[in-house]
Amino acid sequence: MTFSTMISTMGAGMLRTVGIFVLTLIGSLPLGMVVALLRKSRIGPVRGVIRVYISVMRGTPLMLQLLVWYFGPFYLFGWSIRGWRFPALIVGFVLNYAAYFAEIYRGGIESIPKGQYEAAEVLGYTRAQTFLRIILPQVVKRIMPSVTNEVITLVKDTSLAFTLAYQEVFSLAKQISASQTSFMPFVIAGVFYFIANYVVAFAMERIEKALDYYR
Amino acid sequence: MIIEMTHIRKSFEGLEVLKDISFAVDSGEVVSVIGPSGSGKSTLLRCATFLETIDGGEIRYMGQTAAHTGEGGRAQYVPHHELSRFRAYCGLVFQQFHLFPHYSVLKNLTDAPMQVQKKSREEAEETAMALLKKMGIEDKAKAYPYQLSGGQQQRVAIARALAMKPEILFFDEPTSALDPELTGEVLKAIRQLAEEKMTMVVVTHEMPFARAVSGRVIFMDGGVIVEQGDPKEVFDDPKEERTRQFLRVFEHA
Repeated sequence: MTFSTMISTMGAGMLRTVGIFVLTLIGSLPLGMVVALLRKSRIGPVRGVIRVYISVMRGTPLMLQLLVWYFGPFYLFGWSIRGWRFPALIVGFVLNYAAYFAEIYRGGIESIPKGQYEAAEVLGYTRAQTFLRIILPQVVKRIMPSVTNEVITLVKDTSLAFTLAYQEVFSLAKQISASQTSFMPFVIAGVFYFIANYVVAFAMERIEKALDYYR
Repeated sequence: MIIEMTHIRKSFEGLEVLKDISFAVDSGEVVSVIGPSGSGKSTLLRCATFLETIDGGEIRYMGQTAAHTGEGGRAQYVPHHELSRFRAYCGLVFQQFHLFPHYSVLKNLTDAPMQVQKKSREEAEETAMALLKKMGIEDKAKAYPYQLSGGQQQRVAIARALAMKPEILFFDEPTSALDPELTGEVLKAIRQLAEEKMTMVVVTHEMPFARAVSGRVIFMDGGVIVEQGDPKEVFDDPKEERTRQFLRVFEHA
């Protein structure tokens, strides 16, 4: 196999990796906010359920969670899992990352001084207005460094999709390396992850800069 | 009367902070509230501006009841949607300013009028610029709070409260977080509002200011109003021993 066929074969895997990455962020960034808000719900049982969810997501390996999401429906209910591979993957990633993002959001929300809420309350803002106009913009700025960390971790975590034999770049690298007895696929995969994270870091830095207009 | 608070009681975890306080402010009045820390001054303002809920008593704005002691002896407030009407009667200036850091000075002043009172941008900005001019900081409209001195930030905070056109403005130790050289500019701004007959209640430790600007001084201690009256009487000829004791500390300072 020539170098260029290797690249083009793995190119399809790179697209799948990007697919996991993008779909996970689209799902988990907003879901994390919902989880963070429910974590502070006034209803006790809701808070309890959310706390258990977060501790399970953080307390068990993502690899194990992916296997459970994929094979669980078959072993638990005897359902057919044909066509379920990719959805299971995305569900697993989204739910896991939402838990981490939720904790980052919660930390951010709790770091906003009480005076900001009181100033908004006295001015007559509703609770929703206070959160969306006053609190959230300040939270976003404060949590950017932690979110960047998490997003960079996600780029590398996409490789866990190999557990479900999903043909993203890491799975392909392993396969091609074995069949061609070549080390090159791993080099290609490594360079791919590195460049992807370089782009992520660059983009996040731009966003942080854009939020630098106030302190 | 703009505000009437009668027989107000408020406890925090068993500690009674306001003990049967009655207090009313007429239109155009400037009232200073003095007293040692922990005397309940701030709590009184926070109850008046609905940041804290009273345990008992009655709060009336413009002759309308916002909260009163109902059956069972607990204070009952009007429903949530009606309370916003009462909130609009009052403004509060905090010791720590609490400006919105992510908004420019101008937006700090226009956002609530536009979002809460549904004013047009033109109207809100016109009001805001006039207020900034009055506060002597119209050149800071585009600046962000972190770029301003403490005194300028506090004047923005005063303008932000005034932009909502409240009937009465409360100040919770407005100069206590400021360096001495910045205190003067904020007091000057409040004095100017007093001359324009803005109704104000100022919790302060600035005795010369209280004496010069206010028409009435209230001395609070231990959750009660110990003495109140004309500033000259309260400062020069206090009737109560506790007032005398308190004022003596300031004379020697």
